[in-house]
Amino acid sequence: MSTLDHPQVESSLEGFLKQVRPRLKAVFTRYRIPAQDTEDILQQALMALVYRREGIRDPEAWLLGTVRNKCLLYWREQRRKLYESVDAVVLEAVAGPVGPDQESSHLRHDLAQALERLPERCRSLLWMRYRQGFDPPELAERLGYSPASIGKVTTRCLAALTRHLFASGICRRKTP
Amino acid sequence: MTAGRHPEPDVLERFVLGALAPLEMRETARHLLAGCPRCQEITAALWEPADVFEDPETLAAAEVSAEDAAYDAVLDRVFARVAATESQLAEQRAAGLRLYEELMQCPAERRHLLLANCQRFRHRMLCERLIEASYEICFEEPHRAVAVARLAVAAVDRLTAEDCGGEELAGLRVRAWAHLGNACRSCFDLPGAEAAFAVTERLLDEGGIAPVERAKVLSLLASWRTTRQRLGEAQQILDRAAAIYKKLGQWNLFGRTLLQKAMVCRQAGDGQEAMRLLRRALDLIDPQADPLVFLAGRHNLINALYENGRVREAFALLYHTRPLYLQAGNRMNLLKLRWLEGVVAFGLQRNEQAEAALREVRDSFLELGLHYDAALASLDLAGVYVVQGRTADVRRVAEETLQIFQSYNTHREAIAALLVFCAAARLDQAGLDLVREVSTFLKRARNNPDLHFSAPF
Repeated sequence: MSTLDHPQVESSLEGFLKQVRPRLKAVFTRYRIPAQDTEDILQQALMALVYRREGIRDPEAWLLGTVRNKCLLYWREQRRKLYESVDAVVLEAVAGPVGPDQESSHLRHDLAQALERLPERCRSLLWMRYRQGFDPPELAERLGYSPASIGKVTTRCLAALTRHLFASGICRRKTP
Repeated sequence: MTAGRHPEPDVLERFVLGALAPLEMRETARHLLAGCPRCQEITAALWEPADVFEDPETLAAAEVSAEDAAYDAVLDRVFARVAATESQLAEQRAAGLRLYEELMQCPAERRHLLLANCQRFRHRMLCERLIEASYEICFEEPHRAVAVARLAVAAVDRLTAEDCGGEELAGLRVRAWAHLGNACRSCFDLPGAEAAFAVTERLLDEGGIAPVERAKVLSLLASWRTTRQRLGEAQQILDRAAAIYKKLGQWNLFGRTLLQKAMVCRQAGDGQEAMRLLRRALDLIDPQADPLVFLAGRHNLINALYENGRVREAFALLYHTRPLYLQAGNRMNLLKLRWLEGVVAFGLQRNEQAEAALREVRDSFLELGLHYDAALASLDLAGVYVVQGRTADVRRVAEETLQIFQSYNTHREAIAALLVFCAAARLDQAGLDLVREVSTFLKRARNNPDLHFSAPF
């Protein structure tokens, strides 16, 4: 892109906010952020902009980029709760009271099929978690991740597994 | 709800949002995992928005319907608060500056005591000023920059999330540590830099840092990796910083990051990639808004062209860039211009012009007390003498350069390299390859005193 293509920047805060308002609403709409939860996201982003305005060349792009990023983080945080509940249900299903042999076998088969569709890194992590009962610190040690990053890696893998499981189902023979 | 009964659509929506009570979350998950096609279909439609990374242009052009007015009340409230904050901001900045000046007027040993015990110094803008000051003086007074960065770290430690918000505090803290590492790096306190950057990385891993802060810190971290000659890691870190700036539409900062990456590529010996990145960076940096950064990019590109044997292109670009050096005006920029003119003339075999320019540059650096730069210019001058077969001049330049280094410089490995060059010159055996080898070593060793010189055979 040419350096001459930078958009016109509104100099007063009032004018800038007026200009950016419809686009902010478009971002929130697009990411389906509930109205009551937009307040914190928007306030954090705008306050950061106001404090750093001198160092920001294109405030509109900066603000929209920051808000979009915060919307993704919002979803990520919400989804973490979802992944944790899926994790708990799967752990419960594979480690719960032993059912009839055929039932356990179906369950392992469904889980194995879902795991097969995941990238190798996730497959080995989740296999160790569900089949061998390793918790995150043990997984970090075994797989060579730092204790600080294992949480993020596990969440990513659980996200991938959840998508597959919700698409195909698991333990369908076990439930009515 | 049991696994056999269908949850209501609003329950599924709250499930996808993670907004149900833990027990309900589990029951809904159990129902979906049982493979209910009806609920899976409803959930699939709810799943999509957070997973799509929208193209900024498409998003910006999106129409907002009348129903989206639900956001208006929120926007009004936030805009009013932000406007109120902005009107107080100039005052806060001035207060931070006053506190900074007051702090710096105290004896150095009292400053940390004041920060720890005096409530007035618990001020966000003081932290910002300390971080800025550490960066500003980093190159001229690196030891003082370390002391100021330590004050910044101490000042940030006294702040709480109530003073400036959780994300802002996390950003300030990581920046304070990164600038401490950077200041230590500048004064060759390598263990100090290592320790400070270890804390920086831990804070980055903990998360909760605004992307733009993260990108700035990544850029400092990349400089540290470059100093340690971990060039692959430095490139990866710069890629992460560049991705953030790109996502935020900060094209000037994106361009600066590419400039930094080009320097790493050059050090790694990948001249072609360095030139590609420099050209891309120069497209992104606005010469009107950032004239010095733009000039630095052009200067590096001319150097890269010369080093890759494209001397005529280097000469042409130098011709077009000369007005920018003259506009920048300060003596260092003019010396850099003259130096480039000397090496490019040498590349074009205009030895008389090269000699005149390089002698002028060397003498000016000596006059300014910049002995390391004087030594590098001397080596370029020695190269001119070597190709002309002027062995006595080569010997004289070698002896003079060694003498300067022995008098002023404590860099043992650089002296070792110059001793090898001197010994070869005394035997009339200093060829152009040796001159280039010693010169390259001195350039690399400048920011890396751990580097060892191996004499060529």
